[in-house]
Amino acid sequence: MKFSYSWLCDHLETDKNATEIGDALTNLGLELESLTDYSSYSKFVVATIKDFHKHPNADRLNICTVDDGTKTYQVICGANNVKKGLKGIFAKDGMYIPGTQIYLKKGKIRGEISEGMLLSERELNLSDDHDGIIELSDNFENGTSAINALKLNDPVFEIGITPNRGDCLGVRGVARDLSAKGIGKLKPLKYEKITKLDFESPISWNIENDNNSCEYVISRYFKDVKNTVSPEWLQKKLISLGLRPINALVDITNFITHDLGRPLHVFDADKVGKKLHMRLAKPNEKILALDNKEYTLDSNSTVIADNNNALAIAGIIGGESSGCTEDTKNVFLEVAIFEKDSVAKTGRTLGINSDARYRFERGLDKNMVIEGLDYASFLINKICGGSVSKNIDSGKLDTNERKIKYKFDYFEKVIGIKLEPKKQIKILKDLKFQINQSNEKECHLLVPSWRNDIENNIDVVEEVIRIHGYENIIESIPSSSEVEIIKINNSPINKKFKVIKKLKRILISNGVSEIITFSFHSKKAHEILSGDKSLKISNAISDDQSFMRNSMIFNHLETAEMNYKKGFKNIQIFEIGPIYNTSQSQENILSLLISSQEKTNSIFKSEDFNFYSISNIVSKFISSLNFDVKQFNISRSTSNKFHPGQSAELKMGKKLIARYGKVHPLVMEEFSKLKNSYAIELFFENLPIDSMSRINSTNILDSQFQFSEKDFSFVFEKDQNLFEVQRYVNGIDKNLIKNVEFFDLYESKNLGENSKSVTFRVTIQSKDKTLDEKDLEQIHKNILEKVSYKFKANIRT
Amino acid sequence: MDIKKVLNEATKQIERCSSQQELQNVKVAYLGKKGKITELLKSLKDLSLEEKKSTGAKLNSLRTDIDDLLKNKFNGLKVKEINSKLTNEFLDISFPPPNSIPSKVHPISKTFDEVISIFGSMGYSVAEGPDIETDYFNFSALNIPENHPAREMQDTFYIDYTDKDNKPYVLRTHTSPVQIRTLLNEKPPVKIIAPGRTYRCDSDSTHSPMFHQVEGLFINENTNMGDLKGTLIEFCKQFFNVQNLKVRFRPSYFPFTEPSAEMDIAYEIVNNKIHLGTGDLWLEILGCGMVNPTVLENCNVDTKIYQGFAFGMGLDRITMLKYGLTDIRSFFSGNLNWIANNGFSIGDY
Repeated sequence: MKFSYSWLCDHLETDKNATEIGDALTNLGLELESLTDYSSYSKFVVATIKDFHKHPNADRLNICTVDDGTKTYQVICGANNVKKGLKGIFAKDGMYIPGTQIYLKKGKIRGEISEGMLLSERELNLSDDHDGIIELSDNFENGTSAINALKLNDPVFEIGITPNRGDCLGVRGVARDLSAKGIGKLKPLKYEKITKLDFESPISWNIENDNNSCEYVISRYFKDVKNTVSPEWLQKKLISLGLRPINALVDITNFITHDLGRPLHVFDADKVGKKLHMRLAKPNEKILALDNKEYTLDSNSTVIADNNNALAIAGIIGGESSGCTEDTKNVFLEVAIFEKDSVAKTGRTLGINSDARYRFERGLDKNMVIEGLDYASFLINKICGGSVSKNIDSGKLDTNERKIKYKFDYFEKVIGIKLEPKKQIKILKDLKFQINQSNEKECHLLVPSWRNDIENNIDVVEEVIRIHGYENIIESIPSSSEVEIIKINNSPINKKFKVIKKLKRILISNGVSEIITFSFHSKKAHEILSGDKSLKISNAISDDQSFMRNSMIFNHLETAEMNYKKGFKNIQIFEIGPIYNTSQSQENILSLLISSQEKTNSIFKSEDFNFYSISNIVSKFISSLNFDVKQFNISRSTSNKFHPGQSAELKMGKKLIARYGKVHPLVMEEFSKLKNSYAIELFFENLPIDSMSRINSTNILDSQFQFSEKDFSFVFEKDQNLFEVQRYVNGIDKNLIKNVEFFDLYESKNLGENSKSVTFRVTIQSKDKTLDEKDLEQIHKNILEKVSYKFKANIRT
Repeated sequence: MDIKKVLNEATKQIERCSSQQELQNVKVAYLGKKGKITELLKSLKDLSLEEKKSTGAKLNSLRTDIDDLLKNKFNGLKVKEINSKLTNEFLDISFPPPNSIPSKVHPISKTFDEVISIFGSMGYSVAEGPDIETDYFNFSALNIPENHPAREMQDTFYIDYTDKDNKPYVLRTHTSPVQIRTLLNEKPPVKIIAPGRTYRCDSDSTHSPMFHQVEGLFINENTNMGDLKGTLIEFCKQFFNVQNLKVRFRPSYFPFTEPSAEMDIAYEIVNNKIHLGTGDLWLEILGCGMVNPTVLENCNVDTKIYQGFAFGMGLDRITMLKYGLTDIRSFFSGNLNWIANNGFSIGDY
């Protein structure tokens, strides 16, 4: 909210300056967002363009001769409103220009010297207007300070109002809060109540029963008014808010909205019927509003209507057809209490952010209904003349006094410092709480009518500490207990973060860089990974971020391609983060992409990167998590992200542990530069956390006795799963077979279409003795027989 | 006998050899079965016992001498041959290796780690919740009913899928729903932090549609606002490595805390760089407050016994402040140059 210092002083008697008030506002929770204090603008002065001619080297620039009252300067100016005799605001060499945040420096522009600058409103931070330089209408003398010429002698505060503080959406409310903090005294509102209400209003109200969004409405009819341009004081106030003065009747309602936080509305009484209704809109009922837009309403919105048409959207915006213009002769003033949820809902549905809506949806001071009516009547009558009708109302104003039984010691329990009941009572009184029946322990409070946000003891504690000052809360640091530390050490999530850290350390020490990409992926990714059940975001910012990713591969390929265009040819990146399958199923996985495109260096030949390289990397990761890759079941991956013949899945039971291989050529169609790309998806959350983060040793003793190695070659069926063979061989004699290492795979026509020849080396060693020839022969025979029988494999010699 | 002559002759022959093969031939000629020494030994049989003894000893010493000569020469030749081979194996050691960029972890990883460790030392364990949340957990349970203006403070992403209350799922706008999830699962005392991804549909140089927050929650019998203040100041001192940290707590509003506060850190600009902890300018760091009793009641916590505080802070923001980074969008750009310049290598992580 915005207001000027002088406006605040209409309500607050204070000797504090703008900076002190700004600090107090922040300490009250009315955060000062900006204080525009123009005192430094005295250095900018009025100057006249005495003459100008075209810049010889630039079409759009002019060379002006500028007189600031003491001297003439040559100024190069690009504004399109340059003309002889124009009076503007001039800045000299060395001055700081607030709007552009630079210091002016005398210098040449396209070869011509420029000794200063004529300023636009934007360059002075007065508005966003940069269409041309400021043109002063009045005939100020050259050298007059910009503060006087532009009437900037009034600092402007802009404060942030949190949603609970609807009471501060009027300058008076802000002044009231400041007075409670001891920053001055609240002045009484200065106006005279009109007592001569001598005729019945020809227009009357009806709040329809089907609608509980309007609690109460009260009106007066003003006869024979003369709507004019507002007086200067009123115009100035609106301009200080950035509002455009329209005519007195409209300006008065806008002023009261911002002064008292009390929105109200004026109808041109000759443009509406004699009976006005508060009713729900009809389905698809249309209204052209004061913002010149037509809105189509639904039956949840409340409208003000006569017997024929909707005239206004209740609590949000008036209608164009019934608005007051300079020709308005008779006025109907409406002051109502609308239910805040209903206003919020309608406003959100229609997308209208009006000053009225903003205030209604934060809740109004019900005691301000009559005050607003009286204050507006006074101003209308004073400025526009005419006579005023008796009140006409409908509904019942439920002032709903809120009473709270407050216990003083609750303050100390929550805040941690002692504050005597006497001091608490003083603060509450300053905030205009009424205190009844108080004793040492507790008191009965009556909440001020404007504080709709205060309902219970904790709300009262907040008020007391807010005024007492957060700076008075004494800090203490609760230290950790043994129980907490043990809990941390045993927490699976803490362990998981340790495992993640371990993985990251392994990856970066192996040349893989960590990236973080959005949890979204593009519409394209969604379409290409067909069968992809990723969730759609209803209100995505763009198509590129319109689905929740169920894989990171597409994002990573995009990242790789972007880096490829920056000159990186061999890209190794990873991300540990979430992927989303359904709304309630999210897994954190490790996704790694290796895209190696360059082998042209004749000296540093990078090895051919293929499926087996990636399979080796997976094996290393898995072993760093204290598992052996061969413990898992391997099968071809059926994911459409991967090349069907060069990708694999590792599973433990039904749980997917890893998926890796060459990225599917159809996906790669989108990334023509990155043909040779491989990815790994490690679903580490599916592994038991205590095994992954194990720190104790596994206690296997090295045997002292001699070992023996023997190679075996078999011809298997082509689709024989070799993980199974390996596990089987290992299991033939768990005590003696120490290691089974596969080292050759061979396919040829001689073997037959459906066969492959595989060689592995078995290491045999006993814990108890050196094995003799006979022992070894027995094991060899065992392996040959069992493997050939189990897998229907032929022994190759 | 001309033993000396034989030795001289052998010495000459050995010296003349220029290859291992030639040397082998010399060895055979002297020490072989039909070699000179053997022949000389055979001739001993005609001599007297006395002579046999003295000549035999001389011949044996001759044999040892020649053998030593052979061995020395052999070693010399081997070194020479290897050396001459090595001259052909000289590489251009000055050939520059290909350019590579260091692989590093993202600065956010470093921040996660530090946050978990600093709060860990204060007794906070880590908790988690999903990114895709129900309307209830993200808003209603946190005392933000429908149509509450606070909902408009946060531009919410909605998922095209509804929950059991027939409300669309949302991308959590803050990490605060983890407070609810944790309190529904655990009995107080509860002392947790919950770092994670959060979302708001906002995108410019200071906003990213995805960002990171950490939530903190401490519920116990007497946890008060002084504890909140002390805890957060201590965290900031450790995280930003500033001993004398000027901070400010000022009243604010969050529906799920009361009283609510925002914490600012003082800063000043020294040599065009932000210097944290001193000065007259203020940077907003986080929002916090005493957990609103309504929220505790929503989680079936007995508010006659328990109370406590909660806080939430932007991890990207504190990372940017600590390391002087300016554009949040670069965090999620995947630019490897950026990672190399701003990330952390293994010794630093």
